[in-house]
Amino acid sequence: MRRGGEGRSRLLLIILIVTALFLITLDLRGVGLLEGARQGTQTVLSPFQRAGAVVLTPFKGFFSEVTHLGRTRHQIEKLRADNAKLRSRLLQRKNADAQLDQLKSILDLAGTAGFKIVNARVISQGSSQSFSQTITIDSGSTAGIKTNMTVLSESGLAGVVKEVFPHSALIALATDPSFRIGVRIAGSQQIGILSGRGNRSASLQLIDNLTSVKVGDILLSRGSIANRPYVPGVPVGYVTAVDNSAGAIAQSATVHMYTDFSSLGVVAVVVGADASNPGDALVPSKPRPTPVPTVTIYATPTPTPTN
Amino acid sequence: MRQISLTFIQLFIVFIVQEAIVNQFRLPGGGFSLLLIFSLVWAILTLPEIAALIGFISGIFMDLSQSSSGPIGQWTLLMIAACYAVAYLGSGNESLSGNPLGFTFLTMSAVFFVELSFVATSALLGVATGSFGQVLITLLGVSIWSLVATPIFLPLFSYLHALTFNTRSVL
Repeated sequence: MRRGGEGRSRLLLIILIVTALFLITLDLRGVGLLEGARQGTQTVLSPFQRAGAVVLTPFKGFFSEVTHLGRTRHQIEKLRADNAKLRSRLLQRKNADAQLDQLKSILDLAGTAGFKIVNARVISQGSSQSFSQTITIDSGSTAGIKTNMTVLSESGLAGVVKEVFPHSALIALATDPSFRIGVRIAGSQQIGILSGRGNRSASLQLIDNLTSVKVGDILLSRGSIANRPYVPGVPVGYVTAVDNSAGAIAQSATVHMYTDFSSLGVVAVVVGADASNPGDALVPSKPRPTPVPTVTIYATPTPTPTN
Repeated sequence: MRQISLTFIQLFIVFIVQEAIVNQFRLPGGGFSLLLIFSLVWAILTLPEIAALIGFISGIFMDLSQSSSGPIGQWTLLMIAACYAVAYLGSGNESLSGNPLGFTFLTMSAVFFVELSFVATSALLGVATGSFGQVLITLLGVSIWSLVATPIFLPLFSYLHALTFNTRSVL
């Protein structure tokens, strides 16, 4: 009897493992049914993610706003009621202001380059458990978004559209380890390939071994045929370190990306672009140092009476 | 059949909570996976064959997640193996499954090994997982977050398990 039970459980385990291996094989062979299952899941999840984004927005801000450790309990009790109301309003306002600022910068960027864009809010950040870097936005195919379209943030390239659903889309961020983009250096026009590394710093590999790169060089996207997946001229980042190791086929460098991926609230998907290349028009201006006022004091000693 | 249906429904709810709420917070070090912790906790509390089934269902959900970078079936395979293994280790071993401390440690270790196996199988399947440093940070981050999150959710998950399988809650 016991042997029969063990046999059944072993059979169940084998069936489950074989099913999993079967699924992997089907997916690697590109069977459309499985991709449909992922799309269907996202369609089901999309309203929940949207609701979660709306409900949790004040809390996300709240955790970063807790800086009242020095106050006494008496003061906190006295002001608690007013504070709660005001803080809630303030956080909502701050959040709206931040999103407005991001949107304004995106519109400036897209306007300068002549890009036609669709704005979208970020409704979910992909989990890092699978070592991928993704976000989900609240616009999809109904807004004209298609796969392999460039996604912009307020300060430059954010990523590329990976999957599209009717009312949402999955964006592979430029930090994703599988992310690759052809870039050129503003000014010198040298070209290279930028790869995501899982964080805000990316690695650049120059294609031509006769060219060189230096710290501070600004990288722009090279652009693709028919502007998909990448439109040309989008600021990507700047070089922070150059690897000059002997024996390397071509020079490589570390790049700091302009986009702050941890605070993406609003993004724009480029759905169309002018035929003309914006060239270096989108190169961000260098921050001007704030002048430090110098105060000169002249002291005149009062004459002391001498006897 | 009733118990399997209830398990499926609860795993689906945890999956939605993970995707709609937990994923909203970009926690340092990669955060934690509620579905992974839930499945492993339930697996420790059940028989190995039931645990394999729980792993299969939760693995399917994890594969269907948009943030999953590998092919469908990768998480399923890993979760079947992980849930079966922790159930096998936990069954009859009161020092592991009978007290919250041993339980938390077993869950955290399982999370670490599942994530490590994911990196290894991703490498075999040609899926990019990032630089060595980034992978190491994520592995450690996810394990530490699991260590923090497991004791918080353990009473609830244990209670739900007892309710579903008509057993006495062990924790």
